[in-house]
Amino acid sequence: MSEDDSSTDPAPDGGVVAADAPATRLHDGGTERSTATDAADESTLARLADSSLLTIARREYRLAVRSRWALGVALLFGLFTTAVVQFGASSVGPGRFDAVIATIAELGVYLVPLTALAVGYDAIVGADERGSLELMLALPVTKGRVVVGTAIGRAAVLSGAMLLGFVPGALLTVRYIGLASVGQYAAVALAAVLTACAMLGVAVLVSTVSRTKTHALGAALAIWLWVALLHDLVALGAVAGFDLGSGAIAAAILLNPVDCFRVLALSQVDVVAGGFGSVLAQAGLTTPMVAAGLVAWVVVPVGVAAKLIQRRRL
Amino acid sequence: MNVIDVDDVSKAYGDVQALDGLSLSVEQGATLGVFGTNGAGKTTLFKLLAGLNRPDEGSVSVAGADPTDGTTVRERVRYLPEHAGFPPSLTGREILSFHARMRSVPREDRNHHVERILHTVGLADAADRRVGGYSNGMNRRLGLGTALVGEPAVLILDEPTAGLDPDGIRAFHEVVESLASETDVTIVFSSHALGEIQRLCSEAVIIADGQVATAGPVEELRRAAADEVTVSLSLASAAAASDVAADLGNHEGVSTVSRSGKDVTAETTPAEAYDHLTTIGEGYDIDRFEVREPGLEAAFHEAVRADGGDGSDSDGTAATAAAEAATEDSGGEPA
Repeated sequence: MSEDDSSTDPAPDGGVVAADAPATRLHDGGTERSTATDAADESTLARLADSSLLTIARREYRLAVRSRWALGVALLFGLFTTAVVQFGASSVGPGRFDAVIATIAELGVYLVPLTALAVGYDAIVGADERGSLELMLALPVTKGRVVVGTAIGRAAVLSGAMLLGFVPGALLTVRYIGLASVGQYAAVALAAVLTACAMLGVAVLVSTVSRTKTHALGAALAIWLWVALLHDLVALGAVAGFDLGSGAIAAAILLNPVDCFRVLALSQVDVVAGGFGSVLAQAGLTTPMVAAGLVAWVVVPVGVAAKLIQRRRL
Repeated sequence: MNVIDVDDVSKAYGDVQALDGLSLSVEQGATLGVFGTNGAGKTTLFKLLAGLNRPDEGSVSVAGADPTDGTTVRERVRYLPEHAGFPPSLTGREILSFHARMRSVPREDRNHHVERILHTVGLADAADRRVGGYSNGMNRRLGLGTALVGEPAVLILDEPTAGLDPDGIRAFHEVVESLASETDVTIVFSSHALGEIQRLCSEAVIIADGQVATAGPVEELRRAAADEVTVSLSLASAAAASDVAADLGNHEGVSTVSRSGKDVTAETTPAEAYDHLTTIGEGYDIDRFEVREPGLEAAFHEAVRADGGDGSDSDGTAATAAAEAATEDSGGEPA
């Protein structure tokens, strides 16, 4: 088959054209040349959409949506917020709403990190075990971008699913308390999402340095145990035992994204509840400081993972 | 002009020395077949060429640059790993579109380009099925498809036909033959099917224990390894076979003779092979005969023997595959 034949036939059959296709592309002119020629015509938005980072993120997003865990997360948080608001705020009054927020904060410290770790622990090691990581890393993209793109894609799905899950609780809050409470509820929801993204970043880091999915899962569970339970116990013990100052308390909070979430959530209400929360007043932290700390928890683990993937044995 | 230069490269994984001072050069446009024992270092070499790993010592240059230096080399090189896999929830078309986007195939050409590749690798009918439902062979075809996306200058394919059915192997052969004859794409692939390397490759390299045991044009390797052909005969009875084996053993031109039941095998020079057959045919009833020319199999065995000779265990799989695959047969019923 001639070059003309193969280049004009949009629906070739298998064999002969199959063999012609790669050669034809090379004879007809190249991808890179065409790209250079057409680049000026492409809009900035189109180029952004085709950037390697967003392409990887978009693929990860699609995978996550199809795997149905996004639906599971939305349902889980939908049930969670519905139950908390239904049982906590059905008796009208501002005090009841404070109890709702406190309950979301106290139960969220278990649920949010567990969900995020479960979503992210296999991000890199899973692709490696499946055989798709090598193919991905053989593409013209830096290894770091593969990690960051993967994290962005999963974070987008996780955030979307969680926000969707907070909607039923928001509707019930409006019904029982009124529109005035929506701002506080939304702030708690956003804090939960930010915390989830931070823990997702940690999960991606774990996934990057783990040799197998089993190891990554074990490490993720150990991290969950630490951030949800042990960190507060150790911090409380240290504060009480060594008479540490407010700086140590602030550091203890900032060193645990789950505590950051608790601080942000409880800052929306007057109550101070549970565990490490009892010493928050002494810490001298402001809401923007804690939010910034949580943002750092999102960025730093992913950045470290982007560096450490260079050392991953393929 | 060399498009690949590997100079005295060593790579170890813990205590395992995968590559040990390997050097290799490949000219632009060549089709190089790489074969060797299991664990010889082929995959490690390919990963170095693709920039996935760095050598402990030595240097690697592909298309004039260090493969680990940025993404320049990976823009021109396509690497298909031996165990390539894909997310099961994506379709074949989506995976190729993803690779096309990552390879900067122009937006307006992308769909057409993907469609052509799907036809190339014989997956057009399964393009919109999820990869999780693909067979192993279909996954290999899809992997080959990803290697064809864009405008490759160098193809590095790690056992591309492993697990493929005959149609898939044929499609692969057609692609390689087309690229080799019509473009200056450099193709490097490994295979345990030595007949495949003989058919497709202009050059071959045998790797053993992390080093190049021997390398060169395929024809030269074949000739250098052995200048005798193997004659196999099936006779009407074991007694006749015994007599024929004795007769052949008395000929000076026959180097070795062996018999098993009614079958006789002898090695002799190509010029004398048909004389022997004629002589035997005049005296005995021959049910079947075969004259096998020397192939890369002989070069492989010689290289492995020369490299240390303990190929009895680790060489088993490759040697068996070689024996099954590396044949150029002529045979049939006697006239």
